Amino acid sequence: MLKIAVMIKQVPDSQDITIDPVTKTLNRSQARNVVNPPDVNALEAALLLKDKEGGEITVITMGPPMADVALLECMGRGADKGILVTDRFFAGADTWPTSYTLASTADYLGGFDIIFCGEETTDSSTGHVGPGIAEFLGYQQATYVNKVEYEEPFFIAERDIEGATETLRIGKPAVVTITLNANAPRNPTLKKKIEAYKKGITIVANKDLKLDPACIGLKGSPTIVKDMKTVADPVKTPVKPGIEELDKVISVLVERGIVK
Amino acid sequence: MANFKENIKRINSSESISGRMPDYDAIVVGAGNAGSAAAITMASKGLNVLLVDRADPPGAKNLSGGVLWGNDLAEILPKWQTEAPLERFIDNKKIGFLTEKSSIVIDFKTEFFRDNKIAHSVLRAKFDPWMAKKAKEAGALVIPGITVESLAIEDRTVVGIKESGDTITANVVLLAEGVNPRLSIEAGLRKPLQDRELSVGVKEVIKLSAQKIEDRFNLTKESGMASEYIVGSLGNLNIGAFFYTNKESISLGIVSPMEELRRNGVTHTYDLIEKFKSHPSIAPLIEGGTTIEYGAHLIPEGGIDSVPQLYGNGYMLLGDAAGLAFSNGLVLQGMNYAIVSGIKAGEAVAEAKARNDFTAKSLAVYEQKLGSTYALKDLKTFKDIRKVTNNPKMYTVYPQLLEGILLETLWERGQPKKKTRDVIGEAASKLSVGKVKALTDLYGIYRRM
Amino acid sequence: MIDIKEKLGTIKYDVDKEYPHITVDDAICAKCPHHFCVMACPAQCYTLQNGKLLFNYEDCVECGTCSVACDQGSVTWHYPKAGKGVVYKQG
Ligand SMILES: Cc1cc2nc3c(=O)[nH]c(=O)nc-3n(C[C@H](O)[C@H](O)[C@H](O)COP(=O)(O)OP(=O)(O)OC[C@H]3O[C@@H](n4cnc5c(N)ncnc54)[C@H](O)[C@@H]3O)c2cc1C
Ligand SMILES: Cc1cc2nc3c(=O)[nH]c(=O)nc-3n(C[C@H](O)[C@H](O)[C@H](O)COP(=O)(O)OP(=O)(O)OC[C@H]3O[C@@H](n4cnc5c(N)ncnc54)[C@H](O)[C@@H]3O)c2cc1C
Ligand code: SF4
Ligand code: SF4
Repeated sequence: MLKIAVMIKQVPDSQDITIDPVTKTLNRSQARNVVNPPDVNALEAALLLKDKEGGEITVITMGPPMADVALLECMGRGADKGILVTDRFFAGADTWPTSYTLASTADYLGGFDIIFCGEETTDSSTGHVGPGIAEFLGYQQATYVNKVEYEEPFFIAERDIEGATETLRIGKPAVVTITLNANAPRNPTLKKKIEAYKKGITIVANKDLKLDPACIGLKGSPTIVKDMKTVADPVKTPVKPGIEELDKVISVLVERGIVK
Repeated sequence: MANFKENIKRINSSESISGRMPDYDAIVVGAGNAGSAAAITMASKGLNVLLVDRADPPGAKNLSGGVLWGNDLAEILPKWQTEAPLERFIDNKKIGFLTEKSSIVIDFKTEFFRDNKIAHSVLRAKFDPWMAKKAKEAGALVIPGITVESLAIEDRTVVGIKESGDTITANVVLLAEGVNPRLSIEAGLRKPLQDRELSVGVKEVIKLSAQKIEDRFNLTKESGMASEYIVGSLGNLNIGAFFYTNKESISLGIVSPMEELRRNGVTHTYDLIEKFKSHPSIAPLIEGGTTIEYGAHLIPEGGIDSVPQLYGNGYMLLGDAAGLAFSNGLVLQGMNYAIVSGIKAGEAVAEAKARNDFTAKSLAVYEQKLGSTYALKDLKTFKDIRKVTNNPKMYTVYPQLLEGILLETLWERGQPKKKTRDVIGEAASKLSVGKVKALTDLYGIYRRM
Repeated sequence: MIDIKEKLGTIKYDVDKEYPHITVDDAICAKCPHHFCVMACPAQCYTLQNGKLLFNYEDCVECGTCSVACDQGSVTWHYPKAGKGVVYKQG
């Protein structure tokens, strides 16, 4: 019986985000919220582990109250419990307090044998939070993992290292971050969704965690955004695949001063 | 499909349901207008309701023109006009013909429409999730993002739905699955779809600023315009077209009978809408706009003849799934029909529950209730309307006749003017059909409209 | 004229790469007298290339037209699963 957690974040669907032609800022208002795509792979990796070894999966997210549907969606795919970490004290967190708050939640829930995260999010893509949680909790960690198996008392994590696979043996408890498309996530089923919606989720607030307000949320965030720049769209020159148009490729590269 | 009749018979014969406690009083398949209306009706009467939709959010796969007539909606959601995501209330309705070079349009703008603001343009991907949310607030369990795979049928009774190997049971299953009702067809509760009862609707939403829309169509901040056209000039096809104003966009599209498309056989449906957009009377109206969404959907246009048996042991058919939509070239309505069928089905289930009898006999009140509303009455009254909408003369001969008369009377070409009587006579004599034949034909149209 | 491909680009899809919800039977299509699906499908999922029918489900808007347009029994038609497929923003 493994005690498994999956950290998920609700993000605006990247397909729905447009760039305002005038202000050049991201327009998220029309965007549908979805579970951060690699987190769905993280959940699937957790489900595969549970299928084999047995256990209980808790999905955890820190976010606004409307993030509950993201948890219910994961429960519809087979997670057993949903925890929504939400409080105005947690708002405005950068990756440091996010990791700290999530680690504290894991601790508050009695700790886990293994915590699954996504490799990074599609809306901030720092990849900080998984390793952050591991450090705050003092767990072992493996990043960019495709597959996790259990050989008591170790986890065997297969890691993608661009062109090769590295197999790691890590001790318990551990944090792993799972890559996008590491596996083919199963669909939610009607029965599991009904159970999820009936069971509902559990809310964890700072009255439960009792964290120092100076260490969480906006106040606990060391990052200060100094400036933001909009990058111009790269100019695309279509060429046919193969060597036929190599001359064209070279002339374009020269023209743009990339090669001399 | 050989055993279609047999299946119907099997399911309709009234035998009582065997033993165990079902999971729900009612399961509704489909959170379109019909399904959500039914779920709201039942849940607000305290019934235990499950509403399942294959889209997430519910309704995100639905598409209409669409002008919603809200009379029925007001019955279950009295505050719809202030709460629902609506576009513009329609106080200007236009109907007309498009010939190759002209448009002949009746422009009806009326205080009557303005007084109660009952017709609104809507965009379904915004409107439907709201209705489903209302079903949830009324107490229904709303599950999005699940496609029901089949019906569970036992002892000639629909006892529930199946998905991923699981069966969820209910006293009654309300099939509000829309115009392409796979579950109902596969279970033999209605016949497979046929050419003659369908049109293909192809639509675009074109972004245009509110200011431009209001200026171009002479509208206020909230008011809107809806036009319907009969078009016989797009590549030898007789079709309908629509053009509606939203807050900051135009919804326009073509409605093309499957029979026409097959007869023609050489025109792509996606080219038809482009031809409509480039018609000399339409192009200037969308000038400067950009297409923000393309889409397509079928429309049930079979009239009363394609309305199947509406209920049986443990099930009912609602809205488009039951062919309950109305069109006659001047109007295209289905959302209001779907909503009224949802309400009546919901009421029928509540009564059946009070009797604790969900057999066909008990659910027959649904048809009685629906029969007393405009929904079934309209379809019966206009049972021969397809003879009009299928009449090729409606699309070519008569519009050309009108065009000819108007050209003769309104176009100053430095020629001696003719008396109107002579103009009509001459235009009529140029018709490809005889005068007498045309008159009988027109009389036929008049009688059926 | 806006090209149909460009218009299809305005639609949002969550394509199910594991499950093609519509399939056609190549053997039946090869003998089809009319290829009406090519004209009827509003999303250009059916195309003819050198007389051979090609079918692509990725751009499908799930309208159901081809399930009726094909009267040769070639089309096996299902809705996509789990909310996959077309997601309208306007509708
Ligand atoms: C330069 C910069 C400045 C920022 N400034 C601000 C700011 O001022 N105010 C502000 O509110 N935000 C700010 N953010 C956003 C905020 O830091 C992140 O959204 C958040 O800390 C998570 O980081 P991430 O999205 O990069 O996650 P990553 O580290 O990329 O995520 C990795 C994995 O961690 C898990 N995870 C991440 N977030 C959560 C979560 N909330 N709940 C559960 N699991 C999670 C998931 O498994 C995810 O796949 C800023 C981000 C950046 C890059
Ligand atoms: C181009 C066009 C223009 C139109 N214009 C107008 C107009 O201006 N005014 C008007 O009143 N009407 C109009 N209509 C008609 C109107 O859209 C329909 O009549 C109406 O939407 C029918 O409602 P319904 O609830 O029966 O079906 P739908 O709204 O189609 O709902 C069916 C629901 O069932 C779901 N579903 C189907 N199968 C399953 C399954 N197996 N499992 C789970 N869920 C499932 C679908 O996702 C969908 O949400 C128009 C239609 C079209 C195509
Ligand atoms: S109509 Fe049917 S049989 Fe003919 S080409 Fe199309 S799919 Fe194939
Ligand atoms: S369902 Fe509609 S869009 Fe999809 S392939 Fe068939 S005709 Fe084309």
